[in-house]
Amino acid sequence: MQTFRVNGYDMAYIEVGEGNSGPPLVCVHGSLCDFRIWSAVLGPLTRKHRLIAVSLRHFFPDHWDGVGDSYSIAQHVDDVIAFVEQLDDKPVDLMGHSRGGHICFRVAQRRPDLLRKLILAEPGGELDATLDPAFKPGPSPLAARIAASAEVIARGDIDGGLQLFMDALEGPGAWKRLPATPKQLLRDNATTLIGQMKDQRPPFSKADAEAIKTPTLFIGGANTKGALPQVLHTLAANVKGSRTEMIPGTTHPMFEQAPQRYCEIVLAFLAGA
Amino acid sequence: MQTLTVNGYDMAYLDVGQSKGPPLVCVHGTLGDFRTWNAVLGPLTRKHRVITLSLRRFFPEHWDGVGNDYLMAQHVADVIGFIEKLNTGPVDLIGHSRGGHIGFRVAQARPELLRKLVLAEPGGDLDPALKQEAATAGFVPIGARMPMAMEKIRSGDIDGALALFVDGIDGDGAWARLPAVPKQQLRDNVFTLIGQVGENRKPFAKSEAEQIRTPTLLIGGGDTRGALSVIWRVLAEHIPNAKTAVIPGTRHWMFEHAPQEFCEAVLDFLAA
Repeated sequence: MQTFRVNGYDMAYIEVGEGNSGPPLVCVHGSLCDFRIWSAVLGPLTRKHRLIAVSLRHFFPDHWDGVGDSYSIAQHVDDVIAFVEQLDDKPVDLMGHSRGGHICFRVAQRRPDLLRKLILAEPGGELDATLDPAFKPGPSPLAARIAASAEVIARGDIDGGLQLFMDALEGPGAWKRLPATPKQLLRDNATTLIGQMKDQRPPFSKADAEAIKTPTLFIGGANTKGALPQVLHTLAANVKGSRTEMIPGTTHPMFEQAPQRYCEIVLAFLAGA
Repeated sequence: MQTLTVNGYDMAYLDVGQSKGPPLVCVHGTLGDFRTWNAVLGPLTRKHRVITLSLRRFFPEHWDGVGNDYLMAQHVADVIGFIEKLNTGPVDLIGHSRGGHIGFRVAQARPELLRKLVLAEPGGDLDPALKQEAATAGFVPIGARMPMAMEKIRSGDIDGALALFVDGIDGDGAWARLPAVPKQQLRDNVFTLIGQVGENRKPFAKSEAEQIRTPTLLIGGGDTRGALSVIWRVLAEHIPNAKTAVIPGTRHWMFEHAPQEFCEAVLDFLAA
């Protein structure tokens, strides 16, 4: 694959499309995913845009053994910043899904000079007390689930660990119901949960959200349950001038469930003033 | 994407993994592209360098269907040129469906470019001698649906055209059951069906199969119906020392239905 050397690591990416209309669109995947997660939107998005989908440190095509402490939000944010800095065509449009949305939010906070527009598709993370009165300090409810799954994966039972994780996230039977291809892509990245178990990301604060100056679009699945919709709407309410689009009939992997609608929304936002 | 210029065309490819052995070049089928192999990249790249190419006119190109270079002969010449340009010495080649047809033709024309060959339900017609063997097994060509599919594309009914094609291969309702991700990847390549309608590819001949010298594995889905379930079995009878593997509970896109089992069969064959 094509790679950029960032912070001592060869970061793989795929680059598709000529992009005669504006800057490249850099895409950052979420937990347990990699550059392939954007496959469903590559076609519609590359008709007019140059699209660059990265694989974060330790995700496939790396076959990581889960050893070491270089898997963290902080590291991944540093890596994305260093990656964008190496692109010839800056500022870029940046799009992140789930944990990748968290990373892109932090990039926008730290280096607004690198970004033209920002798209956050159900960003992952927690809200601190300035955004959520019910906030309790300490590990999030998700952290315990990640730890339990990661231990099973570290023992070598990849499918057992993934089942635990997916069923906790999406309800009982979620792993079994997944088609074989998405299942395999999760398997290819299973050891990253071991890294994620050790990651301590700070929650989002009101000051964080208010510091975002990049024009921002939030996209959500209208049927997503749990904390993700709350995080999305709360951040959207505090990122000045941001827009929100909820896609009917979809959940967290909304761009895999409704790729055409998702791309329409993204393309309209990128084309807008 | 990375590209190699072959016969005047920039062929895009994905190059994943490292190995001292020969690379494994993957050739997709009708309506596919380099993404067709997403589900098998993980297991295959643990020990192999895997190169998944997009044939001329397939995504990442956004082809409008105009021009006459979408031809089996052109794609065969392109894959040959691609392997030559790779300049790694003999490669292992895996082809699915139309890509399997191409793999067969590459092995016929340029055996010195290949170490091993994997054909996953190769597509094509059979010559009269082979057809006679196949008749008892229920040989129904899928080509009959192609002109109807083309009409639908021309009238703008992309999903209707794809439903005709996919249902023709994997049975009624197959398109409707497909998840949105593979559906969209087929849409991205729909105009290649226009190229495929008039190409009149030559049928497989018994003598051609008998002349394949490359060690060959043929893989089929256990539940595939119709012509595609027959062709590979007939070819396996005539390719010298051919190995076969059936992936139970799968159909024509067997490596998407059971990626682990498919990879196991391929890795065993490559290691043997």
